[in-house]
Order: sequence, then C-alpha cells, then structure tokens
Amino acid sequence: MSDATTFAGLRRLDETLWEIPADARADMRVPARVFADRELLAEIVADRSLEQLQNVATLPGIVGAALAMPDIHQGYGFPVGGVAATEPPDGVVSPGGVGYDINCGVRLLALPLTADELGGRAEALVDEISRRVPVGAGHGGALRLGGPALDRALAAGPRALQVEHGIGTPDDVEHTESAGCLDWADPAGVSERARARGADQLGTLGSGNHFIELQQVAAIIDPVAAAAFGLREGQLTVLIHSGSRGLGHQVCTDHVRRMDAVLSRYAIALPDRQLACAPLSSQEGKDYMGAMAAAANFAWANRATLAHRVREAIARVLGPQTARGTRQVYDVAHNVAKLEQHGGRELCVHRKGATRAFPPGSPDIPAAYREVGQPVFIPGSMGTSSFVLVGEPAAMELSFGTTCHGAGRRMSRTGARRQITGTELRRQLKSQGIVVRCPSNKGLAEEAPFAYKDVERVVDVVERAGLARRVAKLAPLGVVKG
Amino acid sequence: MSHHWLEHTAELELQLDAASETGVFREALEALGEVIGDRAFGKAVSREIVVAASDRAALLVGWLDELVFLAETEDLVADAVERLELDGDTLTATVRAHRGQPRHLVKGATYHDLVFERAGGGFTATVVLDV
Repeated sequence: MSDATTFAGLRRLDETLWEIPADARADMRVPARVFADRELLAEIVADRSLEQLQNVATLPGIVGAALAMPDIHQGYGFPVGGVAATEPPDGVVSPGGVGYDINCGVRLLALPLTADELGGRAEALVDEISRRVPVGAGHGGALRLGGPALDRALAAGPRALQVEHGIGTPDDVEHTESAGCLDWADPAGVSERARARGADQLGTLGSGNHFIELQQVAAIIDPVAAAAFGLREGQLTVLIHSGSRGLGHQVCTDHVRRMDAVLSRYAIALPDRQLACAPLSSQEGKDYMGAMAAAANFAWANRATLAHRVREAIARVLGPQTARGTRQVYDVAHNVAKLEQHGGRELCVHRKGATRAFPPGSPDIPAAYREVGQPVFIPGSMGTSSFVLVGEPAAMELSFGTTCHGAGRRMSRTGARRQITGTELRRQLKSQGIVVRCPSNKGLAEEAPFAYKDVERVVDVVERAGLARRVAKLAPLGVVKG
Repeated sequence: MSHHWLEHTAELELQLDAASETGVFREALEALGEVIGDRAFGKAVSREIVVAASDRAALLVGWLDELVFLAETEDLVADAVERLELDGDTLTATVRAHRGQPRHLVKGATYHDLVFERAGGGFTATVVLDV
C-alpha cells in the first residue's frame, strides 16, 4: 500500500525524508530514515538496503536515527550510503560501519587550463596518467614504504610524504578533510599482515569503482562558491577516487574478526555478524579507532601520491608550468568514523559511502572556504556528469553534517555484464568523445552507467533536503579505471 | 560440488554446495580463482595455510581471506587444494598456486548473511565478498 504519505512501509516526514519508525522491529533502538524522492525510493526498496538500515538502528548507543542518503544501496552490515552516530562511552564503534576500504574518497584537482586550450591532447594526457598509475592487478606503486617510513605515513598521512618525499604541497594538505591526518592514529595497531598488503600500494588505484577522470567544468551553478573553490566554466579538472587499498582492507578484516569473537563479553546481540562492534570505551573499540585512523591517513597518502603522478603526467604532456599551476580543490572521505561535536554532544559518526558536508562557518574546513562551506564531490557513473556541492547548515541538524557520495549502484555486477560487454561500452564511450583506459573488459562492463542511479536525481534530493547545494557540474573527457 | 553467484547490488554473493565440509572449502577456492585469477601463469608453488575460528562459517571467511592475501602480497592465484583438513576450530591446508596478475578486486570476505550448514545429504554455505 502506498499513498501520499507512505511508501512500502515508510512514512513520509517531509518532501525528501522518509522514516521506518523505531517500533517497526523489536530490536530497533531508533528510527531508520532515508532521504529520497519517490522514484529513488522505488529503486531503493528493490534490494535489501532498508533491512540493513534497520539492522544499523539496533546498534547499542546509536542516537537520533540510522540515516541513509539517496544513493543508498545494499552492502554488507551497513548499507552503502548509511550514516550512524553513537555516543561514547557505551555507544559502539563498528568496523562494518566504515567498511573494508577505509577512507575510500575523492580528491579534485583543478588545472590552470580550459578544455579548449587542451585541444586534441586529452587522449595523450589520459594515456600518460594510465602509464604512471598502476591499476587493478599487480604492484609497482613506485613508492614502497616500510618500517619507520610507513609508520610516519600512518601517523601523519600526506604531510609525511610532503616532507620526506616531496609529494604534494602544504597547500594540498591544507585543502584536505582533517588536513589529511586523524591525529589519534595508532600505527602500532596496524598488523604485520596489513603492512604487507599496503607496503607497495601507495600511488595505486585498485579495482572496482576506483578511477581517475579527466573532466571539464560544464556549468557553474553557484558563482560565489565556485569562485571560492577556484573553479570557472570550461576549466579542466581531474577527479581521483581510491582508498586505503589492501592495508585498510586488512585493518577491517582484523577488527571485525576480533569484535565478532567478543560480542558476548559486552552482551551485544546483533541481527548481522558483519555489524560486529564494541563499546568506544573498550580496549577493542579503542584499538580499532587507532588502527582505522592510521588506515585513513594511509588512504590520504595514497590519493596524494596518485595526485603527484597526475601532476607528473600533466608536466610531461602539457608542460611543467601547467603542472605547477594545478591546485587541489579539496579531498573528502567516504568511509570513516570520526568523533565530532553535534548538538553539544561528542558523537562517533560512522559514514559508509557518505560524505561529510559541513556548512559555512565550521572551524573544521579550510580558512579559504569557511565563508561558503565545505566542498563535496559527487562522482556520477562512468560517462555521466559529476557535481561539486557545498555543505549547508541543515545538514548539521538532519544528517550529522553529511550528504551523499555518488550515484549509487542499482544493478548487480553480473546484471551489468549481462546487458553489455566491455568492448561495446568502450565503443559507446568513445563515440561520446570519452577516452577510456581499463585493463579489464569484464571490470569495465560491471561499471556501466546504467548500473547506477541517476546522479542528477540524487543531487537534487540532497539539495532539496538542505544537506548540500550544487556549485558546479563536471563533464567527463577521459577516464583511467581500475 | 558446485558454486554460483547470487544477485547482490554491489558486492559478490557466493553460494557453495558440496557433499562434505572440506568440499565447501575446496569449492570456495575454485570460485575465488574465477573472480581474481584470469591471468595466472608461471611455475606452480605450494603454500601452507592455517586458519582458526570459532565456527565453520568464520573458518570459511578466514580461508577466503588467506587466499586474497596470497594474491595481493605474492601475486599468487591458488588453483588447487593439495591437502585440506578440518580439526575442531582449525583448518590446515596446502594449496598449489601460480604466479600471475590477479585482479585486486576482492577486499575481503564478510560475515554478512554468512551461512555454513547441512543441506540434504551435504553442506551449503553462502558468503558475501566485498569488492
């Protein structure tokens, strides 16, 4: 049954916010809420993401509501696009609420050049980036860190690379969420197995939905914020999407396993083992937070190294002056748990496939952006537009200062492969003038645009909800895929 | 023994069926190789694997994680089980592997909707892999 105020068991709270009340299941401690319009909701209810969101609502110490952004889709444990805030000391931290790819996120670079000025050199630039960035299989990130050097990257993130290896600039570091460093990181808590997986992966893209995309600013929507972010119509940008690679994956594996084994000690009963968690005040909780922060710092160091490789490619194809003039707009995390102040309380905000979106005036965003708000980047699916957004005040009241992170999948990988081959997708993208470099036809087909929701609709919902507003639209020119 | 991939919006959900418990683990190796090992070559090597966990389902997660670890750290795609024993909470195995260029697609095996149980005359298991 559905009418104007209900849809598939959800109650409409306002134009873009829907709720499953806390009494829908005996084990829910708070309501589950999802930001969506009817069309997106119809796609969302087609998989098990709302059941997973209700499971999140059972976590000990959760406050407010278990929240979902409009790009929500079925994940494991938490849905992707899920947000949960828990209150210390008894509230829990759940590694599954961050995910395996700790601090998977995006970084936007802006070139001092327009698409017109680039002329016919787009393919050469994409090729050069592809040569310098190992993707998918294999190693050879060129920057191999071990022992104390790896410890310093885990403790300080890209700042350590800038000082010791000349990677990135102080300006890059300043224009990064949390300045690229969660200062409670505990490198000693990162296992030898995690170190072995990550030792030669700085500057590597990985597989799946990771990419480096060459774009142009197709439209400026908010001229004031765009000017503050240094963006103008026609300008070239590069969007980098990657995370903490094998090191972060192993940190999650280690701590899910450890917490799964001690649930009974804390009298925690869960509807899904992947939600394994422990109180923030427990040794298990503290150890995870320390190791997770170290992996987050490693992810920022990885994206800093990838940006360095992009600048090297720009220097070779477009000249060193263009590379020197390529500035970092910002870098945001999609998968992380952070202690933040909300409503006068310190909360542990889990964001899994969701982006922090702090409003103007927040002391946690760079001085240059403080009057307009925090930049947020929303990648579209391959071949479609991406968006630059800026955080809005209502996000602090409605979503713990959070907005969406992308288009969000709507179709399985096998479903996508049934509908198109990698070869055909390459041909289609080429006919749209988009250069694609991807080592795997199978992997390419899995990321076909129709496997994702409509990013414009997703962005429209977060704007109408007051979580973030559009600043600029970015159109793809070429992509290197993992 | 057989395996097949279930529909999952973003990850890979694997169902395994075998006549014996050890057969489930052997089939899991086959399935993972199908996902990551499309370009294996080189001389065969053997690797010993030991996993301990509280139950069979968690052992399956640990087993898959070990195979992912081999692929990511040594570029080894495990393509056969030479020996596999289950003793209480512990799995010990020797796998044959080839060095290649495995896809770094699978981040880890998860506990989400994890099942390992008797079914009919044999055993069935489901596990979601994060990709």
